[in-house]
Parts: sequence; structure tokens; C-alpha cells
Amino acid sequence: MNEEREVLNYDALVVGGGIAGGEAALNLANTGYKVLLVEKDRSLGGKMILLSKVFPTLDCSACITTPKVSEIARHKNITIFTESEVTAIVKKSENNFTAQITKKPRYVRVEDCTACQLCEKACPVSVRDEYQFGLIGRKAAFIPFSIANPKAAAIDIENCTLCGACEKVCPTHCIDFTMETKYYELHAKTVVLATGFNLFDPLLIPRYGYGQYKNVITSMQMEREIAPTRPFNTILRPGDGKVPDRIAYVLCTGSRDATVGNPICSQICCMYSIKQAQLLMGALPMADVTIYYINIRSFGKGFEEFYQQAKGMGVNFVKGKIGKIAEKENGDLILRYEDINEGVVREAEHDMVVLSVGVKSNPTVGKIFGRGELKLDPFNFVAQEDLLGSPSKTSIDGVFVAGTASAPMDIPDSILSAGSASSEAISYLIQHQEL
Amino acid sequence: MASRINPKFSEELKKYGSVNFNACYNCGTCTAVCSLSTTDDSFPREMVRLSALGLENEIKESLKPWECYYCGECTTHCPQTANPGELMMSLRRWLTAQYDWTGLSGLFYKYLPAFLTAMALVLAGVLLFANSVNGELEKMLHFGHLFERTAIATVFVVIFIPNLLRMWYFTVVKPGGKVPLKTYFTALGELFVHMFTQKRAKECDDNHFRWLEHLILVFAYLLLLFTTVFLNWFSTGNLFVIILGYLESAFIFIITVDFVKDRIQKKKTLSKNSGPSDWFFVIWLLLMGLTAFLVRLFIDLNILEGNKWLYLFHITVLAQWALLIVPFGKWTHFLYRSFAMYFVKIKSVYPAQ
Repeated sequence: MNEEREVLNYDALVVGGGIAGGEAALNLANTGYKVLLVEKDRSLGGKMILLSKVFPTLDCSACITTPKVSEIARHKNITIFTESEVTAIVKKSENNFTAQITKKPRYVRVEDCTACQLCEKACPVSVRDEYQFGLIGRKAAFIPFSIANPKAAAIDIENCTLCGACEKVCPTHCIDFTMETKYYELHAKTVVLATGFNLFDPLLIPRYGYGQYKNVITSMQMEREIAPTRPFNTILRPGDGKVPDRIAYVLCTGSRDATVGNPICSQICCMYSIKQAQLLMGALPMADVTIYYINIRSFGKGFEEFYQQAKGMGVNFVKGKIGKIAEKENGDLILRYEDINEGVVREAEHDMVVLSVGVKSNPTVGKIFGRGELKLDPFNFVAQEDLLGSPSKTSIDGVFVAGTASAPMDIPDSILSAGSASSEAISYLIQHQEL
Repeated sequence: MASRINPKFSEELKKYGSVNFNACYNCGTCTAVCSLSTTDDSFPREMVRLSALGLENEIKESLKPWECYYCGECTTHCPQTANPGELMMSLRRWLTAQYDWTGLSGLFYKYLPAFLTAMALVLAGVLLFANSVNGELEKMLHFGHLFERTAIATVFVVIFIPNLLRMWYFTVVKPGGKVPLKTYFTALGELFVHMFTQKRAKECDDNHFRWLEHLILVFAYLLLLFTTVFLNWFSTGNLFVIILGYLESAFIFIITVDFVKDRIQKKKTLSKNSGPSDWFFVIWLLLMGLTAFLVRLFIDLNILEGNKWLYLFHITVLAQWALLIVPFGKWTHFLYRSFAMYFVKIKSVYPAQ
């Protein structure tokens, strides 16, 4: 590529603006280092900002994330690039990294946008809303979600018909279709990788009927249904809009399963399912919630108590993994499983099935570096070279890993990991500073 | 009754062809995806568990390994790649060895050299016999025919009847149910239905072709047995019998060629892990069909006199089949599977314990 690259200079590059990347960026910035935070999505906050509540405290996820994200966004030492990707990083020498960054156009001047939503109303194009995981629709000119940061409109150019309706109604004239992709060359002294994880795609297990049976949803979709900024303002099943009475959770969907190439435990599904079950008991007091499990792994602080609390609230726990799901004519679902305690096959009917999808690695992180430079573990998470001594260190000195880029983990562990990564990065910066 | 645990059972079962079943983490996916598993009869996880614990007596009392017809769904979906389908297969081999009073089945399953030696001995026996009659075709044909009848009767009386009684004792009597005599008659239908239709295999798979192939093979085999032994196919002049024999033997080797092909290609779960007993069973069946077909063809073309080796080959395959593979090898699944369904029926009408 021969594009003109604008040259940038920062102390630290943080790749990924989720909760781990944000925390690492804050720690570096508070210590006085200049940080460039690169996020591929339209908003900071990663997956956490879209969650309902967090286990095991049942604190509101948005109420923890939004102040933190605001702090990051307003910090004088942090520059944020959203809709941007780090395409390559080369280590020239210690304290000397060169990164290539591509920033896609938003077609909206963020600094001028007031988030008045008039463009949304004017836009004639409706598509599925990826921030609500397909539960509802959105426009092609839209604010990603109500607590997004930056809270500004964006144009989904893939689906935009270029009719110009949004441009006409915009009171601040901040919509600009002439924006182009920008390319940057960044010189940084250290790098923190916080590229997060991908959710398991349940289409890979056809016998669960996801994508075929409308009332089989993923746990992330349920997360949206019970979040404070939820799309329906109640719990509905997608097939016919009925309020479900019998809700089933299928644990280990895509985790601990060698047939889909992911034999490891995702570490969070037991607990988030138990959390959702408790929230559902609150939202739908008459509903039966059943969790089908292989083993409940409630190993963290306060987790076992949280599990016992769910039992006490009346959540049904059934030991046995769901073998297959069939759909009845009315949209109800028949789950076939072996009741392990009894040792017999059973079939159970539910109105709605939630697949507790597991955590997969985000393979893009491996492509940023030259072939083989950044070591990955067998499941394509960033390998931790010194797991017990310095868990944030990667195979490249000066490049550190934070959060779920290194392994499946929950939010408290991600924050801890980000703390570790940022302090390792600071230590690296000090050790190699030019005297 | 206290359960006895055999800590070495896993090692023992490995010799019968089991793979990796100790990886099982008891999720029950295998049982839930099995199309033959019901609330009354749930498997295979129970058998995996019993095997992992080494509860030999419980396994010996169980008929569940015979209720599985190995479609391979459990193995395909097992999240731990514990291969429950192959475990059920190895349990069937192990049970065959337990039922066999002579102990030869176990010996042949576990030690291939022992089986190969026995095969060689039978070959030597055939050659000695041929030598003793100076290779006269007429005598060989006569004795061959005589041998068929004697072998069948002997194997039946000396091996099968005692072994089936042992199976009955282990699975019906020992678990302690009081079964009224009448039930043995009322349930008899089950025995013949399963023996001659293998209808469970049809429920097992959405691929009915495999069931149909197997069914045709069973009938062709039984009819060929009848045609050669009782209708004296090799000596008859009856055109109908001659053509019938040709058809039967042709069906046998065409279908077995397909089965051998599956086992070589390893595309289906059930043909991925073939033990020596599986290979010998299917290849010898193929050779039986092929050589029988050729022998009759050579008789009809009047060239058998000049090609006595063919008949010698046929009689060797036949002798090895009848003296080793049938009584001590995989052939017995024909009996054990149908009797298992008969016993399951009988046990299902036990008075409540």
C-alpha cells in the first residue's frame, strides 16, 4: 500500500478497548504515559458494557463500565481510535515498536454530533442490530447503543443506500460522506494486547437447532433481554413474543467439547448462567428456570454461595448435558438428555432454550505480528511465557497481554490481568528509558 | 450383594479393542443422542461408567452391550472423544469370551498369534486329509459334505447350547429375578423377530441401506448353508437349486466386499476401529461366498477336476470358518444379539422386586 501514513508518537499502544484494555490504558495514563487506545468497534467498553449484571455481586454492569469508559475517554493522556485496527506491529529494538493502524471512516464528525437521533428517525434502512445480538432492528444511520462511548451517530456504509436523508435532517451538519479510511504509522515504546475473546458460534452444533428454532437463543441474547437497556423491556421469546414460563440453560455449549475443537472450560458460563437464572427469577417470578450442567464450577470468591443462593431461589439444577433439541409445532422445545443422577434418558419440554455459549480465542491477535513472533497457546490465546512469575509477559519482550486475550476469565480476573499488564509495561518503559 | 471391583479391567478391555473410554466425564451426551436408548434402557454411558469402575459382575449381568447396534452417533458427538461406541463393541467381545465355556474366544480375541496358530492347524488338517485321500476329488467332495453336517451339529451341541445357557444364567438367573416358565414361551416371538429381521438396527440409523445390506447378507448366508448342507448344492442336478446357490453366494461376496471397503475407507464411525476378529469375520465370509460360487461354476464348466486346488481352498476356508470363526469369533453375535433381546423381554416382565 502506498497510502500516505500519518506518523504518530506515543509511549504505549493498547490494542482493544474492552474492560481489560481500558483498565490497562488508564493505569498507564495515570502514571503519566501517553497512550493510544485502538478499538475496532464503534464504542469502547467491549463485551462488558453490553452485559446486564455481574456475578457474584449482581452489580449493574453498565454502572461499572460507563464511568470507567468516560474516565478513559476524558483522560488527557489517552487518545482513542475507534473503528480502527492495528494491522501490523514490528519491534525494531527495545522500546521501539512501529505499528500500522487503519482507521475506518464513521461518516460522522464525532465532535459535532449531539446524539439527537434525528438521523436515525430519517434513515429508511432497517437491519438487524448487532449490539442487541439480532433481537431487534436498527437503522443504517444510528447510535450504536444508548450507553455507547463515544455517543455519536455512525453510518453503516455496508447497508446505507446513500439516500442523503440523514444529512438533510442533521442539525449540526456533522454527517460527512466524503470521509475516507485513514492510515497511520505509530511509534510506541510498549504494547499491551487486550484483544479479548469471541463467543462460540452455536451454529457449529446443529443438533441444538440454533438458527433453526427461533426460541433457541444464546446467553448473550438473554443478557440483552435482562439488561437495564434491554430491547423489549421484558423477557420475550423471539418465536412468537410469548413470555416464557419454562426456560432451560444448556451449559457447555461449545466448551469442554473436543468435537468443536474447544476441549477447555470457558470458566464463566456456569456463573453467568446462574446469574441470569437469578435475574430471570426476579423478572418472571412464575417462571421455571432449569440449568442442565455437566459440573457446576463455582470456584471463585463468593461463587459457591452464589450458586447455593440460586438453588435456594428455586432454580432447578439437572446434572446431564443436553444431547439434542427438537421443536414442537407451537415453538416449544423438547430437550433430550441423560439424567446422570438417575442414569436414565429423559425428555423435557421448555418454552425457551438459552445456549450458554463458551469463550473462544480471538485469532486476529496472532496476525498482527510477523510469523511466529507472538507465541499462541494450542487454543490460539496469547501464550503466557512465564505464567506463574509474570503472567502478562508474552513471547516478545515489551509486549504484554491483558484480559481474555490470554485465556478465558471473568471480569475481576480481567481487571487484575490488566493491572498486571500495565504495571509490567510501566516497568518495561522505566527500565528501557533513554537516559 | 457387594460389588467387586477389578482395577485392572481397563487394561483387560484394551485387549478386546477398547479405546480411551476412561476419558469419559459423565455428561451423558452419548446416551442422549443414542436413538435406541430409552428411559427403561439407557446406555451407553452406564456401560462406560461400569467399565471405568471395573464392575465386572454388573457388566456380565447386563444385556445392554447387545442392545447397541453401533450406529456410531455416541462416538461422533462425544465431547471427550471417549469413543463409547467402540467401548460397547469391545464389551460385546468381552462378553462373548465370558459366555464361552472353553475360554478359546477370550484367548483368540486377546492373543492374535493363538488365533493364527489355530488357523494354521486347521489348514494343516485339511492338507493332511487331502493327502490321505490322495487328492481324489470325489472323496474330497463327499467328506467335505459330511464335514459340514458334523461340524454344524457338533458346534451347536458342544459350544452354542452350553454358551447360551451360560449367557442365560449370567443375565437372567444370577441377577435373581423369578421368571415364570410361561414367560419363556410368550417372549419367544422376540427371539425370532430379532434373529431374522435385526429390526433394532433399522431403528438405529437413519441410513437404512446398511440394515438392508446386513439383512440380505444374513438371509443369503443362512440359505447358502441350507442349500449346501441339505440340498447338496455341489452334487445336485436340480437347476433351481443350482441357480439359488449361485445367487446366494453372489450376494454374500458382493455385500461383504462393500463391508470390507467400508472398513478400509474408515469413513463411518463403526468401521474406524476394526479388530482382527472383525477382519477375519468379514473376509472369511467373503471368501466363503466367492469360493463356493467358483467351485459350483467350475463343476458346471467341468473344470474342477483339473483345478482341485480351488476346492481345497474352499474347504480350508470352510473349515476355518466352521471350527474357529463361528464358534469362537464374531459369528456368535448372530445368536447373542437375538437371545439378548429375548432375555430383555423376559426380564421386562419380572415380578416387581
